[in-house]
Amino acid sequence: MRTGRRGNVLPGVAAGVAAALLIGFVLLPVLAIFLRVSPGRLVTALHSRVALDALGVSVKTSLIAVALILVVGTPTAYVLATTNLRGRGLILSLLELPLVLPPAVAGIGLFAAFGRFGLLGGALRAVGVEIPFTQIAVVMALAFVASPFYVRQAHAAFAAVDPELLGAARTLGAGPGRAFWRVGVPVARQGLSAGATLAWARALGEFGATIMFAGSLQGRTQTLPLAIYGEFSGGDLRGALAIAALLVVVSAGLLVGVRAMLRTGRAALEPRWIRSSTLTSASR
Amino acid sequence: MRVRRLVVGVMLVGLAAIGCSSSAEAGSSHVTLTVLAASSLKNLFPKIGDQFTAAHPNVGFSFSFAGTDALTAQIEQGAPADVFAGASKKYGDELSSKGLIDVFSPFCTNSLVLVVPPSNPAGIQTLTDLTKPGFKLVIGSETVPVGAYTRAVLTNLNAVYGSGFSAQVLANVVSNEDNVEGVLTKVESGEADAGFVYVTDSKAAGAAVTTIMLPSNAQAVATYPIAVVKSSAHAIDAQAFVAFVLGPTGQGLLADAGFGPPAG
Repeated sequence: MRTGRRGNVLPGVAAGVAAALLIGFVLLPVLAIFLRVSPGRLVTALHSRVALDALGVSVKTSLIAVALILVVGTPTAYVLATTNLRGRGLILSLLELPLVLPPAVAGIGLFAAFGRFGLLGGALRAVGVEIPFTQIAVVMALAFVASPFYVRQAHAAFAAVDPELLGAARTLGAGPGRAFWRVGVPVARQGLSAGATLAWARALGEFGATIMFAGSLQGRTQTLPLAIYGEFSGGDLRGALAIAALLVVVSAGLLVGVRAMLRTGRAALEPRWIRSSTLTSASR
Repeated sequence: MRVRRLVVGVMLVGLAAIGCSSSAEAGSSHVTLTVLAASSLKNLFPKIGDQFTAAHPNVGFSFSFAGTDALTAQIEQGAPADVFAGASKKYGDELSSKGLIDVFSPFCTNSLVLVVPPSNPAGIQTLTDLTKPGFKLVIGSETVPVGAYTRAVLTNLNAVYGSGFSAQVLANVVSNEDNVEGVLTKVESGEADAGFVYVTDSKAAGAAVTTIMLPSNAQAVATYPIAVVKSSAHAIDAQAFVAFVLGPTGQGLLADAGFGPPAG
């Protein structure tokens, strides 16, 4: 890249300034939260009933939502990436729709579909299920909003798997399911984990669809973002800041944890023949 | 390049012309008052604003409706506003003690009712039905005035129905809403089985809800404060609007909507 021409310093400086601006813009609000909340105050917030309940609800519902997304999204992404299914571009676009939909639209849509008087409301009621204002509603709101983050990444990861690897597995007698599970998933694992992390982070931060479809009840449907809003609109700015700091810590902590798991997991789990071929196929 | 510059130039001149003409049309002092008002005033305040504009054509309005607790937080965070109209004296006291609003005037009162969807899916006919476990009750959060009044009324009802009444009722709450509109919407849509709202909300909702009155001795009287925000850049017009709300036109419209007089 570097050609040694001295006249090209200006673009480099401009890019540096742009990068510094962007980094500052992203980091400043996060730093400001911690500058306004003393560590002692953060510990107190950890003991507040509202924060603890919200943390419990958030962790539980977001993990269930991500698990559901993984179970349903992984085979979907695999099929879309590895077969020549007709209309798969359209299907992929449809699955990505929640990315561009405002969360408030998601919330009202979930009501229209699964609410008591929604499209499926009567059928659900017939089997004794009412979704709005329950933790199921929270999980659904999170899954709806977060699923494209996983499906997109998983699709890209499966698309990057060398078709010859899957072909070889089939030649050696593996069925399509076995090829998916024993070759596709292990090879694409890094991309899948990255997608799951992104989806998880998005689920943890979900606000609009949740507050509309699931309401807000401490210990039941009040997630961390809802608790932040509740404290803020209730006039308790310090409480809101403390819960926000908690959310930053939890999100960043899990992100780091997943990355560390990825690093150690790759060396331990990967059979040698796959490792060598991913190295060749993944070298950019 | 040259064409693009020409287009931009024409657009700028056009914008400048629009800017000049609009300020010329309205005289030199067109004012838009930003009014932060409680959610329960959402139907009424634009009407009072229209009446005020009819009398003062150079004054327009930009209304922002939310829970009074959220409005208070906004003013404390420096939101630009000219008039504060809340649903609880508590927040009026809070803002004036911090020197953020002028001395407030109580301008109306309100009281609570229980509303259920017309289809009444949970079959709630009387207040005692509220202790039936398993139905979906939606109320205001503790910090929003309607939620605080709801809890006060339920506590008052303990004297009528026994000491465990309010706890049993509150066990049926499935959502604490940020403002009274949230409660009303969820009952109107039938997604919630019941909710506590202001009598003025149930009146405005008409046939969209079925209303169950509360015993008057258990009522919590909501007194609404109105004041000019200290940081207002249009204090004189804001003061005129406050006086208008307190005057015969404002009070007449408030009474028509079901609000009580401020003295009550």
